[in-house]
Amino acid sequence: MITSEMTPLPRKTWVSRFLTYMKTNRLLLLMLLPGLISLVLFKLAPLGGMIIAFQDFSAFRGVLGSPFVGLAHFQRIFEDPYIWTLVKNTVLLAFYSLLFTFPVPIIFALLLNEVRVRWIKGSVQSLSFLPYFISSAVMVSILYTLLSPSTGLVNDILARFGLDTIYFMAEPGWFRTNYVLLQVWQTFGYSAIVYIAAMAAIDPSVYESASLDGASRFQQMLHITLPSLKPTIAIMLIISVGNIFTVDLDRILLMYNQSVYETADVIQTYVYRLAFASSGFPEYSYGTAVNLLKSVVAYVLVVGTNKLSTKYSDTRLF
Amino acid sequence: MRTKISLFDICNNLFLLLVALVCTYPFLYIFFLSISDGRSIASGDVVFFPKNPNLEAYQYILTNSNLGIFRGLLNSGIYTVVGTIVALMITYMTAYVLSRKQIKGRFVIMSLFVFTWVFEAGIIPAYIVLNKLGFVDNWLVMIIPNAINVQFLIITKTFLDGLPPELEEAAKIDGANDFQIMSRVFLAISKPILATIGVFYAVFIWNQYLMPLIYLQSPNLQTIQVMLKRLVISSGDSNTAFRTIIQNGVMLNPGNLKAAAIFVAMMPIVLVYPFVQKYFKKGILIGSVK
Repeated sequence: MITSEMTPLPRKTWVSRFLTYMKTNRLLLLMLLPGLISLVLFKLAPLGGMIIAFQDFSAFRGVLGSPFVGLAHFQRIFEDPYIWTLVKNTVLLAFYSLLFTFPVPIIFALLLNEVRVRWIKGSVQSLSFLPYFISSAVMVSILYTLLSPSTGLVNDILARFGLDTIYFMAEPGWFRTNYVLLQVWQTFGYSAIVYIAAMAAIDPSVYESASLDGASRFQQMLHITLPSLKPTIAIMLIISVGNIFTVDLDRILLMYNQSVYETADVIQTYVYRLAFASSGFPEYSYGTAVNLLKSVVAYVLVVGTNKLSTKYSDTRLF
Repeated sequence: MRTKISLFDICNNLFLLLVALVCTYPFLYIFFLSISDGRSIASGDVVFFPKNPNLEAYQYILTNSNLGIFRGLLNSGIYTVVGTIVALMITYMTAYVLSRKQIKGRFVIMSLFVFTWVFEAGIIPAYIVLNKLGFVDNWLVMIIPNAINVQFLIITKTFLDGLPPELEEAAKIDGANDFQIMSRVFLAISKPILATIGVFYAVFIWNQYLMPLIYLQSPNLQTIQVMLKRLVISSGDSNTAFRTIIQNGVMLNPGNLKAAAIFVAMMPIVLVYPFVQKYFKKGILIGSVK
């Protein structure tokens, strides 16, 4: 009577299992197709294209037809004294950015947290992160307008005090200051949001008992709010250190010119010029080799700091 | 308990208002320059208020087609609208499928996405690939290659992972197919996350500088950001694109015209900012990882 259950089922081969899987999930797989194509063409293929760092790539012969030259380009990197200028500029620019963009949002968040008037708190915060959404082209254009030697507001004020005109955008000594200034202006409000969110999680009863004990608002800020931000600060610091090789390429390309190369030229701008702005033949292979070294170091830094940050919190960063 | 207003409160509030003013002032200053007349600008009278407000500078830069500003705005607008829609569709679909437990290899695919995000191939290999695919001097370069931003993909997938599996099971019992389940059940409850990443995609595309600089060569494909660089930054003080002119009885000088060009390039963001800033804020919070 129940023989049908007794008959052995035909052994499912992986082919038939695969076919059933494809059939039951055909719509989902179809929906995944654009994403897969995008992954392969726009994310993985460029990674494969990095092989040209080991070739003498010519656009005419293509990636498959170009001859391999081994590590010749990498040897050239280590013999090129200019590379060290680039590395120094990249790291210094990131270091100075970190030095100023790291503490400013914390101080701003601490002070904003003390504001009891809601409309002030709300509007100050809204205005503070507006610059984050404005393009680099606009921000740098504004900087140019303000710092222009002949018509800029800043030199106008300097002149009224009898001071000499400063060519802010043409003097190498000013580049890092200008860059960091833009960076702080553009990101402090944005970065503060993370700290403000962390502060909202602090138990209000801690403040209440502290003020009963006679602690002033300023003392509470220093001894309750700031210490409770420690984990967030630690994580943010680790992330920032991991991204030390990340500079804002758009902003530098918009800000720099030949007269400030000695402080403004970084690895990424050099790679850009090798390929897209050289007057002679574009040096695709050498540029890719330089970029490859940078990517490897940056990758190790990001992954390493990510590991480190898991020690400070339960949440992995990615 | 904390109603007493102390000296600390007064100083703190004043200081923060000053901070807000300082970081907003450059935008206001540019706006004042753009609507003042050239004579007042040249004599240095425009600092905290506009003088003789008028819109002639805007009329000049938008109607003079050889400047390319109107064309740039139009192009940027088209790329932003089309690009955001395409990016949202592809990102959402991919995140949705990768959050379905029945899909094999989804972990591998996600890991590959994350790897390509952390390990950057760089601009040259990307250029070689996109050149082969015909994206050079093709406006689709602003739409297709960046349709999936890995960070936004992770955010969307994490959101979808957090939804109860019963939603899918119930819809399946009702006879809906996978596409219907996504578009009728999941899409509706994903509106907040879609609004957030949509706003970020839009800002990202509008603000793009490097992509159009490298890939778009024809002037009639160019974006407003690259036009801005050419008209305001590259030319410096010895500007040839803008000259002092008199239009409808109002004197306009290069300072006016440049300021107007800068302002139109940021205007769309400033205009939508009050309405979408809650999404900005949300996006910053969930996206503050890497």
